[in-house]
Amino acid sequence: MQKQEAKAILDRAISLARGAEIEVMLGGGTDALTRFANNEITQNVEERRYLLSVRILQGKRTGRATGNDLSEKGIARLIERAAEATRHQPEIPDLLPLPGPQRYRQVDALDPETESLGADARAREVGKAVARCREAGLEGAGIYEVRAGTIGDYGEIGPLAIANSRGLFAYHMGTSAEFLVSALDGMASGWAGYESHSARGVDGSALSKRAVEKAARSRGPKAWDPGRYTVVLEPAAVADLLQDMSWISFGALLVQEGRSFLSGKIGQKVMGENITLSDDPFHPLHRGSPFDAEGMPTVPTTILSRGVAKSAVYDRQTAAKEGRESTGHGLPVPNTYGPIARHLVLEGGTGGVEDLIRRVDRGLLVTRVWYTNVVDPKTVTLTGMTRDGLFAIEKGKVTHGVRNFRFNQSVVEMLNQVEAMSAQEAAGGVVCPGLLVHGFQMSSATEF
Amino acid sequence: MKDLARLAIDTAQARGASYADARAIELTREDIQVKNGEVGGLDLGASAGIGVRVLVQGAWGFSATDDLTKDGIERCAASAVSIGRASASLEHDAVRLAPEPGHRAVWASQCAKDPFQVSLETKLDLLFRIDSEMRAVQGVKNAESFLSFQRKHQYFLSTEGADIEQTLTRSGGGFSATAVSPDDVQRRSFPQAEGFHQALGYEFIEATPYVQNARRIAEESVALLTAEQCPAGERDIILEGSQLALQIHESVGHPTELDRVLGMEANYAGTSFLTLEKQGKLQFGSRLVNLVADATLPHALATFGFDDDGVQAQRWPIVRDGLFVGYLTSRELAHRVGEDRSKGCVRSDGWFHIPMIRMVNLSLMPGSGSLEDLLADTGDGLLMETNRSWSIDQLRYNFQFKTELAWEIRKGKRVRMLKNPTYQGITTGFWNSCDFICGPEEWKPWGVTNCGKGQPGQVAEITHGAAPARFRKVTVGVGYED
Repeated sequence: MQKQEAKAILDRAISLARGAEIEVMLGGGTDALTRFANNEITQNVEERRYLLSVRILQGKRTGRATGNDLSEKGIARLIERAAEATRHQPEIPDLLPLPGPQRYRQVDALDPETESLGADARAREVGKAVARCREAGLEGAGIYEVRAGTIGDYGEIGPLAIANSRGLFAYHMGTSAEFLVSALDGMASGWAGYESHSARGVDGSALSKRAVEKAARSRGPKAWDPGRYTVVLEPAAVADLLQDMSWISFGALLVQEGRSFLSGKIGQKVMGENITLSDDPFHPLHRGSPFDAEGMPTVPTTILSRGVAKSAVYDRQTAAKEGRESTGHGLPVPNTYGPIARHLVLEGGTGGVEDLIRRVDRGLLVTRVWYTNVVDPKTVTLTGMTRDGLFAIEKGKVTHGVRNFRFNQSVVEMLNQVEAMSAQEAAGGVVCPGLLVHGFQMSSATEF
Repeated sequence: MKDLARLAIDTAQARGASYADARAIELTREDIQVKNGEVGGLDLGASAGIGVRVLVQGAWGFSATDDLTKDGIERCAASAVSIGRASASLEHDAVRLAPEPGHRAVWASQCAKDPFQVSLETKLDLLFRIDSEMRAVQGVKNAESFLSFQRKHQYFLSTEGADIEQTLTRSGGGFSATAVSPDDVQRRSFPQAEGFHQALGYEFIEATPYVQNARRIAEESVALLTAEQCPAGERDIILEGSQLALQIHESVGHPTELDRVLGMEANYAGTSFLTLEKQGKLQFGSRLVNLVADATLPHALATFGFDDDGVQAQRWPIVRDGLFVGYLTSRELAHRVGEDRSKGCVRSDGWFHIPMIRMVNLSLMPGSGSLEDLLADTGDGLLMETNRSWSIDQLRYNFQFKTELAWEIRKGKRVRMLKNPTYQGITTGFWNSCDFICGPEEWKPWGVTNCGKGQPGQVAEITHGAAPARFRKVTVGVGYED
């Protein structure tokens, strides 16, 4: 949706509220996804949807109503429902008034070619990926997804535009393209992925080639014993672990409530000196929204600098508690979760994952991890599985496939044991390098 | 809405679809959260739209829109057909749908007291009473409670003559207390993690003893901070019903989804160790273990008249006397296991997503005896309560769970509370070690409301009935060995 159209809808809502304190958020767009498996297209979908969320404030009371009827009648009904929700609830003593107008950095995240990429073009690229798998006698499975707008953000739909009765107006429109491919040979598998704001860099054939090579190398995996290993984690694996860490660690409410490993440790050294982690939607590999769900400008925030805990990310409520400014990481108000760091950037080194492999005498190469979940929040101990390519590294070379492991590993401890890093890339919603890590705990084995 | 669904399938057919169905859905939600004496969230949600699914030259296309004008619907149907054509442009086996009569029916879940007619004050009053009880306990850092209500009103029309109207209402809620020390975070939840939900009206909320349990749960969260760590080793474990429900979900439900078995989820959720040759041959569990899929289970979250393939709800065995016998199937895939009718397991989480195989209600049939009988029969073991985390591999083989609390059992008695209990196992070995399942008096229809699957991701809600059961010699204490 164009800026003018979005603004017209939000202005209409503010005008229909007849002077009430109101915040209006519009999210949505289009999401088109071609899904393939067994070397053929199995699902091919496109959705177009928008959601309008209206929040009314009456003193220290606030209530929200959300709907997708954007007609004048539909908007009026939403306002009525939000007002009804507001009227019948008790006061929230520390509820903040709405913010006034803000200034936002522009992010060049909209690629018109990507926005208009259709099912035929997606099918052609999938066809190239499938052809590679067929040639190798493998089964290809994956997706080619193209989005314009905010479907899928914030769990469901994120803000495309926000306005309020104090004159705030924010708008950001971006595109994204993601191509993922798995190549399967019975229980052996390989995987490769690409993500960007633009579909121009998508190369189904090259990605499929990487997945096929991994699958071929994975054949006849050997059983290694569980234990602590030196591992090379490819960026996709690192991204998954960092995302989980973010959910339970970097939000200021988690820190204030004592639930984060950072609680009481801001200013202290908590990681290795080679770890610098920030949240930055403006990084050229992220190109995320320049504002949050309160309409506050997102400020790039250093969370860890050379191993020292620097700052959590803040929304207005948690910032007010500490007498500081929001960093623009808020969720829709009110919420029980607090702010979230959604655009992580872990500084990396130079060179590729192959340079990390060369440094390892005996260890494991992890392509990606799967089904991670939190075992212990204060040590950020996660469990999960290796997947789609676990390999032995012997004397600096990948020698053979290894049966997958379940791991139980503290990410804090892991980031204290990083020997080397590759260059950054975008993977799994994070900008991060591959890591060479010592003492990674593989706790139990599988039979594949 | 029904007329729009008709327009969608007529348009799709006119543009060359050999099959089309349309789901016109109106979804209403109400979500209320209270945290530490304040309203933490109050959202009244409504959404309406249409999803059109077509077969063109034997390949699927799907398009969804919230533009409910005549032009919008025609554009959406035309888009579904062109997407289907694009799918067909790659070499493929033509989709064959198992036959199903074109049902014409109206179906609704039971709802004695419409939750959307109950005032917000009544709901907030309940939540604030729960909140006060929890916060009366010293040491509770976070007291959180919620209520959630949803109604889905759906028309399903197909070019095969199906004309089905369904209304599903579900209500649920729950609460948790969190206690924090400098190096520990402990949580207790009631009635289960993520709340307890059923396809009923507000009468279900009124029948659940929330307030009566709030203080106990809060006290347990604080007590966990000073409880002993659950030691690592091999122990006999007893899983209470809600944890067992998630065990069923992850290690039985997902691996029996036929689309996973056939590789259609390979890039995301994974495949399954329950490959086709194992049907009717694999001793999945001990002879006590009987697991039944049932889309007709009263008040359950995945109970319906007809699935999103237009197939009538059914009940059938998945594991009989420990033997793996059945899959969760669709009209598209039933023939791959030699069946001429779908079991009716196709659902979507909204008008905007394509229907796919999702679990129907899947329950462990009760055995006999009370929980106290089971404890009395256990010389040395752990009783594990309420899920805290879960993880299972891409073939659904190697799993690890953590529960909020364990009670150490010695000579049939609960002797001490243990914190951070985890257990890990291999699916078949675990279910074959089951040697005691409590009886019908202990059986409850627990629920899962956050089941993720598919790309784009979809969320499904499913009931898993279970009574507490015992499993022998299970690895416990994983992740806390050092």
